[in-house]
Amino acid sequence: MTITTPATSLPADVAATLDRVEQTLDKDRLPVEIFNDEAVFKAEMDQIFGTCWVFLAHESEIPKAGDFVQRRIGVDPVIVTRDGNGGVNVLSNYCRHRGTQVCQTDAGNSRFFKCPYHGWTYSNSGDLVGTPNKHGAYADHLDPKAWGLYRAPRVDSRFGLIFASLAAEGPTLDEYLGGASWMLQMVLGLHSDGMRVAGPPERYKLRSNWKTGAENFAGDAYHVGTLHYSNEEIGIAPDLRSNVEVTRLYDFGNGHSTIGFPFVELAGPFAAFWGYDPQTAAKFDLSGLDETQRHIVENEPPIVGTIFPNLSFLRSPVPVRIGEMEMAVVTTFRQWQPVGPGEMELWNWQFVWTFQDEQQALDAYVAGQFTFGSAGTFEVDDTVAWEGAPKAAKSPWMRRQGMEFNFEQAHTSPVNRDPDPTYKGPGIKRNTGFGEHNQLNFYRHWVKTLRQGAQATSVQEG
Amino acid sequence: MAITEASPAATAPVDAELLASVTQFLALEAKLLDEGREEDWLELLDEELLYVVPIRLATEDRADEIQHGAFRIRDTKYHVRTRIQRLATRHAYSEIPPSRTLRVVGSVLVQRTADADIVEVTSALLVYRQRGIDDHFDLIPCRRNDTLRLTAQGPRLLTREVVLTEVGIATPNLGVFL
Repeated sequence: MTITTPATSLPADVAATLDRVEQTLDKDRLPVEIFNDEAVFKAEMDQIFGTCWVFLAHESEIPKAGDFVQRRIGVDPVIVTRDGNGGVNVLSNYCRHRGTQVCQTDAGNSRFFKCPYHGWTYSNSGDLVGTPNKHGAYADHLDPKAWGLYRAPRVDSRFGLIFASLAAEGPTLDEYLGGASWMLQMVLGLHSDGMRVAGPPERYKLRSNWKTGAENFAGDAYHVGTLHYSNEEIGIAPDLRSNVEVTRLYDFGNGHSTIGFPFVELAGPFAAFWGYDPQTAAKFDLSGLDETQRHIVENEPPIVGTIFPNLSFLRSPVPVRIGEMEMAVVTTFRQWQPVGPGEMELWNWQFVWTFQDEQQALDAYVAGQFTFGSAGTFEVDDTVAWEGAPKAAKSPWMRRQGMEFNFEQAHTSPVNRDPDPTYKGPGIKRNTGFGEHNQLNFYRHWVKTLRQGAQATSVQEG
Repeated sequence: MAITEASPAATAPVDAELLASVTQFLALEAKLLDEGREEDWLELLDEELLYVVPIRLATEDRADEIQHGAFRIRDTKYHVRTRIQRLATRHAYSEIPPSRTLRVVGSVLVQRTADADIVEVTSALLVYRQRGIDDHFDLIPCRRNDTLRLTAQGPRLLTREVVLTEVGIATPNLGVFL
């Protein structure tokens, strides 16, 4: 089975747009048109979602043989299956005969996918195993090996997160993640039983561009004190307006980055390990972590981050009840699913530690959905703020005006934004949230990947 | 308090007075929420409220569609009160200005339970929502499985399970109560 490798020559209009993006990024700006443009979107589907390692599911969603979930790689529907040998398969959900979708459900358990149209039947590892009226229709002239469902050529997982790449060749998942894997280890790799999903993803449609969510979670500590200030006013989270200055920024290159937060420095030792209660924190096994990771996890752990292109996470303490000390620590993974140039679906999973008891897991799930979900007290406001960019990108005036978004904190902020010379982990660490550096690097990597596919590597220069 | 399970195919007749009391209650709720009187609506919620919006999936068997252990919202009265406080801060930007809504409640079925003070109610709800300066509108269709506690002051909402008709919702957030 051959996999078509994405086009390496971009259409002239997209190439011209990227030249302009590159020039404006050098001035810490970004042209508006990339947030709602058919040609750019199509190039993203081929060059980014057609080559990069894209997140699909957590292992705990398909634990048993036959389990499957329907997911997306860009706008392409795929079935993620657990076959009888325990292997994970990522299959195109289009029948090879006439393109009918062989799987019409979001999740289930089945050994076979039978096309409802003419009955071509595939095993859950994608092989063509049945065709009705075989002798009359094909005799021996249909090679079942040549007519299985198309498969993502590369599937791999880290810390329970299953990724696939539609490019047959390219960097391995480890090479692709680079420092992001080191970071994920601090979020997901603290116990041998790992984490599990609390439930299937909830989905909601936003009239916004997928990049806006990814950019926000890459490093936008600046919006929290304004857009989410209502949460401070009612006691859900403290000091949102002053936190940006002391937030840590980690840039791992290749479009992957994270925000860390100095809980211990600001709130004292009880806030170590994100504020997990001492019994839970005592269960964390730090023996696999290096010295730098151990320091970070205890004192200034990752709270928000983005894995290029469209996977992000958040881990944050939320009071179980306002005014009381008990905290539920929320872990949400979310995917910014591109639907169209100015439209995305937000897919939101809550994660809990496999070792947590039922009540602890429920507290974390409830608190997670209460703050980050379709009705989340933080997230509802993001969903509205993010709808502006695609509208501006379609505005005739803004197009004529050559509107550029302002990322100039990268040079105007007087706060010391130099890379921390004492930091020994991968990438770069900055000890302030000012600067919009991570967002700029997300878009720099976006340009490189549109030009070169997943082969693109980018390391922040400093 | 557990969320109501599926009701039997046939419902026993209920007296007109009870039916009127329940439909008046549902209509009052809808009116208060359409008029932005969330504080008044809060008064209609039982102290032991559990308000759940489960996640729905496209599955082969209907029985698997509603993931009862998985939810978009699982609020106690504390959570609802906190949401209303947030709306009142004047910084809850997704609801500034407040969505203009019309809640249409119908298909009301009432059933008595073994507990004389508790009735089970299912109703269909269609929320028309126009948000902010949007030039379009959102529709939020759902069916609600409620239990009401009958008190001397009138019915109070004890549990509500909101079964959304959609799997992936077309409105960008559930910043309005259902």
